[in-house]
Amino acid sequence: MTDVATGQGERPTDSEWDDEDLPVAEVKKLFTTLGKAFKAYQLYDENNPVRQRFVDSLRGEFSTLWKLTDRLVLKVTEDHFMLGETSVYHTENRNDSLAFLFFKDSIREVTFLPGVEEEEVVTFLGVLQKARNLKPEGDDLLTVLWEVDLQFFTYQFVDLLAEGVSQPEAGPGNSASDLQAVLAAAAEDEERAAEAGEAGAPEEQGPQTVSQDDFNPTMYALDPKEMEILGAELKKEMDRDLMGDVLAALLDRLEEPENRQRQSEILEILKALLPSFLSRGQITAATQAFQELHALEDLEGGFDEQRLAECREIVEEVSTPEVVGELIQALFDGTIKASAAQFGAFLQFLGGGALAPLLRSSETVDHKELQAVLREAVPRIAEANPGAVVKLLEEEDAVLAGAAVRLVMEMKIAGAGPALVVLFAHFDSTVRLAAIEAAVSLKASMAANALQQMLADPAVDIRIAAARGIGELAHGPAAGALAEIVKGKEIRNADVSEKVAFFEAFGTLADDEGVAMLDDLLNRKRFLGKREPSAIRAAAALGLGKAGSQAARAALEKAGDDGDALVRSSVHRAMRGEGTGNG
Amino acid sequence: MAEINYQQEGRKILTAFYGAMSALKLYPVENETVQTALTELHGLVESVVKNDGTAEVRVVGDFFFLNETRVRLDLTNFSTFGIFARALQDHGIGTIEVHPGIRRDEWAPFISMLMQAPNPDDSFEAFNKKFAQTPGQHIELRPEKEPDEGDEDEDAITAAKRTYAQSVQVAKDALGDTRLGKAVNVRKVKRSVQGIVDQVISNESSMLTMTTLRDFDEYTFTHCVNVCIFSVIIGQKLQLDKNQLYELGLGALFHDIGKQRVDYDVINKAGNLTDDEWAQLKEHTTDGLLLLFSMHGFADTPYRQMLMAYEHHMKIDLTGYPSNKRPREPTLFSRIVAVADAFDAGTSVRSYQYKPWSPDAVLKEMRDNPKRGQDVLLVKALITATGVYPVGTLVILDTRELGVVAQVNSDLSLLHRPTIRLISDPQGRPLARPVTVDLSRSDPATGQVRKIIKTTDPQRYGIRVSDYLLA
Repeated sequence: MTDVATGQGERPTDSEWDDEDLPVAEVKKLFTTLGKAFKAYQLYDENNPVRQRFVDSLRGEFSTLWKLTDRLVLKVTEDHFMLGETSVYHTENRNDSLAFLFFKDSIREVTFLPGVEEEEVVTFLGVLQKARNLKPEGDDLLTVLWEVDLQFFTYQFVDLLAEGVSQPEAGPGNSASDLQAVLAAAAEDEERAAEAGEAGAPEEQGPQTVSQDDFNPTMYALDPKEMEILGAELKKEMDRDLMGDVLAALLDRLEEPENRQRQSEILEILKALLPSFLSRGQITAATQAFQELHALEDLEGGFDEQRLAECREIVEEVSTPEVVGELIQALFDGTIKASAAQFGAFLQFLGGGALAPLLRSSETVDHKELQAVLREAVPRIAEANPGAVVKLLEEEDAVLAGAAVRLVMEMKIAGAGPALVVLFAHFDSTVRLAAIEAAVSLKASMAANALQQMLADPAVDIRIAAARGIGELAHGPAAGALAEIVKGKEIRNADVSEKVAFFEAFGTLADDEGVAMLDDLLNRKRFLGKREPSAIRAAAALGLGKAGSQAARAALEKAGDDGDALVRSSVHRAMRGEGTGNG
Repeated sequence: MAEINYQQEGRKILTAFYGAMSALKLYPVENETVQTALTELHGLVESVVKNDGTAEVRVVGDFFFLNETRVRLDLTNFSTFGIFARALQDHGIGTIEVHPGIRRDEWAPFISMLMQAPNPDDSFEAFNKKFAQTPGQHIELRPEKEPDEGDEDEDAITAAKRTYAQSVQVAKDALGDTRLGKAVNVRKVKRSVQGIVDQVISNESSMLTMTTLRDFDEYTFTHCVNVCIFSVIIGQKLQLDKNQLYELGLGALFHDIGKQRVDYDVINKAGNLTDDEWAQLKEHTTDGLLLLFSMHGFADTPYRQMLMAYEHHMKIDLTGYPSNKRPREPTLFSRIVAVADAFDAGTSVRSYQYKPWSPDAVLKEMRDNPKRGQDVLLVKALITATGVYPVGTLVILDTRELGVVAQVNSDLSLLHRPTIRLISDPQGRPLARPVTVDLSRSDPATGQVRKIIKTTDPQRYGIRVSDYLLA
């Protein structure tokens, strides 16, 4: 059996309406206006004139109706509001239907009373809007209506609580012997007390003798000052950080190694809570949780292996690029408020997974303070997670890959060589260039072969870097390829920097034959005493300077008084070992 | 004819009565403040008289009616109305009916008389006779009905019974589902708590009566509901608003949810618990917090309710359990639940307590013994609701008659003089029909005022006090 219960006030007595007298047209019109007013309420803010106009119209419709009836009682069906037997509201689409909104939450009758049009009509529209947005797992319309406590709108609903519940009823009372036992115990108690001169402890007593002291109101009544104290307590209660209190409770219990299963349960809760903290901007709480977890990780016996893994999983989960990316975005948008210090404190606990979004944002975010925090945080996280940094080298994103390469270089991550070599083929020339520079700075010998390929890169900077890199790594096998280039025609059209880079690289690797070749390019007079172009000769001189052998020095000395100022200057620099600074 | 908003006008009239009483208490009748207050009262009443031909203000128990419309009280005015209600009840007045032609100068004598302390021997008739000698001819007074004869009180008890029974069933379902690892129907729990809050706001006394329904087998469930009721009642004394009472009630109903992880054998063990069993039982506070995390159906994470489950055995000095490693101050709501929990547990027969304390002894102990670790102000708040002798207390009177406390005296200075159901004569012979006696008034037959000399716990003698209270 399912009962019908009433929400708010007494159930109005059903009006003895004759169906023929029902103000059907007026109620239909009222619902049309209600629909419009509700839409306006959803679309516009409080002070918008459009919204106010529709709300005023709705008030007007109610006022008109109260001239015809003293209350409006409507049955609610799945798709209709019914006035008597007549439908006064119907919408095909249940998503938009006000009737269904009430019906689905078990409301079966609603009553509007005169007065609703004054203040409550706006609250009522607010209720409808809130009801539209309710989540299935949260409150329902009945709870919303109960909370707002409307005085001029009542409703009846199917009371599921009443199912199968029988009410307590009075029993027949007690026999004389039961009652006499009480009196007898009281008399005995008095006798005992008289004998002992005093009463025993309460739990051992029969009837309890009443003390006149208890009648003093000051002993039990709250005085104004005490009410004031309680008022302040209530205010404090409403303002207090409940979540922080719960977190402290969880952490207190997490520190109890004797209950490993519960530790797991708490870790699972923390795993679910942390994203929730972040979404609410409770960065400090999240930091506190991380701090405590970190401390527990280090505490001997705090966690066993399984719990340790679960703990780390939490850090990893919060450190995913999705979570961190959203957090940065929220901070940037201002939807979450946190100071640089608070955010920085939080970031220090993140795992390697967080590096990608942090690094990308540290390069791109248009917010100086935030950028500074990120730039400070990144090296700290990277330091603790070198593997994650190397992993970032696989990123397609040029900004990210480039930044990761710089990080690898700064951190001198020796194992990054293979990943850097892969980046030599990156579509973005700045990434390729950075990767070459990093590989060379790390002395990644395995990069040398790949560098040889880069000598033909379409970008001049890359070719220069590759050449310098080969020289710096003293990669002998590349000597042949470089010889071909320095002898070739294309180098003659290259700019000075490229010429110098190639010749110096070649000079670094050159054997006697190579030195002879450079000597030839610097000093040999050709047909009719013509020499190589000044730029080639100057580059060859610098190449010889890199070779550093006696033959090379002899070759340079031959050109010491050369009439070409550019050549002479290069020769002197080469002899002083100045070169271009590479190798 | 203008439509009257009886709720609004009713509240205004009751406030105006209180205002006029306050003014007359402080100033002579000719004072401007008094005159303004009387003018306001007169204007409000006259307007109803003009509209309806009469204005009838009636008080029945906790309720006021204006021309048969019940005036809904809220937390901002219940105290004001209570003072006016007590003034009327002190003189046995149940109804004030104002007839057309009422003059402004008729109010001052009536209100002045109303404010005079009643002589215990004065009856309504005496007051009315004296009042008839004043110049007023348009204010008619009628005596109050016996509280137990009022339809409204019967309705309130019926509604309270329904709310209580439903709530116990909801608690049973929720706790049972939790033990079985099934999803709890949180909506039903919310609806149940809303019902309790509504009932406490509209008729606190009827819900207090329900807490006397002790059933050993159902203790786990009735205890949850009783703690919810006592908590909401304490909350009401602290002037929490309706939604705050709901938050409080929700946590109170769930306060022992963690016990669903404790073995049945431990929960229901007849004798003393071993150290291991005790240790297991003590985990219920932490388990309560954890279980609420896994419960779905809340609009938001129920942090407040979690803390109530976690902290309700923590004493004010942070002893008790669970222990704390980090700084903690139990929330106000947790402390309220702690008081409600201790009171209900102390007065109930349950697994490890076959000899419960009498309610007044429990209250005294909680108030006076610092080792109990209760917040004394909150205990006092509970006492202002339950009286020195809470509803259901079995009392022995100086006449050697036995009675069961049925209703708390609304006058704080008379909390030790409740209304009782007299159930036996001085020889312990049951009365054919229990008689309602207000211990703050003299017996019309003997002219004597009965006094409570002893209290005892009815459960100790197998007496079901609810038999007398629900009848």
